[in-house]
Amino acid sequence: MPEEKNGEEGRLRYYILFQNYEQGLALHELLSDHGLENRIAPAPRSIQGKLSCGMSLLIEPEAIEAVRKCISENGAEYYDIVPLAGQIISHRDRYC
Amino acid sequence: MSDYHQMWKDLGMDVENHDKLCNVLPTAVGDVFLSQENRPKAMDFWDMVISEVHGIRPAELIEEQKKGRKVFGTFCVYVPDEVVIAANGIVTGLCGGSQFWVPGGEAVLPKNTCPLIKASVGARLGRTCPFFRIADMYVGETTCDGKKKAYEILGEDVPMYVMDVPQMKRDKDIVKWKEEIAEFAKKVEEFTGNEITPEKLNEAIHIVNEKRRALARVYNCRKSECLPISGRDSLLMMQISFFDDPVRCAQMCNRLADELEQRIKDGVSVVKEGTKRILLTGTPLAVPNWKLHNIIETSGAAVVCEEMCTGTRYFENLVDETKTTLDDQFMALSERYMKTNCACFTPNTGRVDDILRMVKEYHADGVIDCSLQFCCLYDTEKRSVSRALKEAGVPVLSLETDYTDTDAEQLRTRIGAFVEMLNA
Repeated sequence: MPEEKNGEEGRLRYYILFQNYEQGLALHELLSDHGLENRIAPAPRSIQGKLSCGMSLLIEPEAIEAVRKCISENGAEYYDIVPLAGQIISHRDRYC
Repeated sequence: MSDYHQMWKDLGMDVENHDKLCNVLPTAVGDVFLSQENRPKAMDFWDMVISEVHGIRPAELIEEQKKGRKVFGTFCVYVPDEVVIAANGIVTGLCGGSQFWVPGGEAVLPKNTCPLIKASVGARLGRTCPFFRIADMYVGETTCDGKKKAYEILGEDVPMYVMDVPQMKRDKDIVKWKEEIAEFAKKVEEFTGNEITPEKLNEAIHIVNEKRRALARVYNCRKSECLPISGRDSLLMMQISFFDDPVRCAQMCNRLADELEQRIKDGVSVVKEGTKRILLTGTPLAVPNWKLHNIIETSGAAVVCEEMCTGTRYFENLVDETKTTLDDQFMALSERYMKTNCACFTPNTGRVDDILRMVKEYHADGVIDCSLQFCCLYDTEKRSVSRALKEAGVPVLSLETDYTDTDAEQLRTRIGAFVEMLNA
């Protein structure tokens, strides 16, 4: 079966939030071009606030410093970077 | 920047209630999709679409409506998209895959109606699905009694057109379906104000065939012993294909297939060697119904094929592109669509033949035949499916479920035991 990422239910990950999905896609491409792992994910509602953009970029903790550096060096647009734990649990069985 | 809240308000949606649905989607997406490692990079397109599932595509549809195009909401793979596209219309799927909408459906339908129908009606009446709000016309079909009666409710405040699907597959039934398609074409012309010419219909047939070819390419990759994509990711691709622009859908599926074919060449698999391969058959899995795939794939097996409407029935068989008159084209459409083996037909031995063929093609170790609660058509066919598979020496597990989470543990127990038996 596909392996669960690190298998740690309480694992802390970083979510980059955006004002709109165009910003998010631009950063997704930028990070990917720099070989930095990032995954498109729906923004957890607990941190989304009043933003109408549902897309975020999910960054593993090992990559966050390199991602911050890349953003800074390229002046990439984003709204916020928020650490959050316990978001991904494959056996939770809570569906929509 | 798109302000989706304003768009949802303008659509007359119940934004407050809709927010409750938005609250749970990120968790489910994270658990089901982002918990996987080594996913194909091309899945980023579908990750984005699901992240903004009630935003990006609805906004696109509204922009097209401003240009005068009409949007047709459909419920079934028997409705010929080609006819709508030929009249410069747009086809979209409609919401119906979440327990969130079921209580709203139960308010007006008998409780012993299948969850797909209850959720669809609940999504419409509860004003929490933008696609139901956007569609200028709903196009139904007579593939089950529950839907037929639900259409009477849905048609109370939105134009509703129902196509009469034959119940048998004799030659005269294929002619009858051709006549239904021709009548539908007249209705679409009248509603859009656009004439359907043989040239336009041929172009539309080609567009939809290209989409089918692209979906088939992805599925062909799943036949490989080196499995380059999970069942969950394939399912997401398939579910979104009902909502997306058909040309873009084909482009994205071909992009994914390119990557999967390369993965196979490079020996990149998403599962360990020896992981048991499951063919899933039964009732459709409308977005965001991911329960079964997630349970199977977190119980030590992989889903390699879906013999269902959200699966092979959607793309197998192409429409003949060589016909030059509308009459011949309508017949070609009928011949293609009537090859789809839905349980609404009697007899429906073609479905059993399909399952047996696909078990071989996809190298399945076992079959899970699952129907939604109260779908008596697919529930009844479990007997013939199970018998044929047993005769062929293929292990089969028959299940029934709904949209609630309450049976997840029971499903885990049964599916876990089935996978254990396959591994023994």
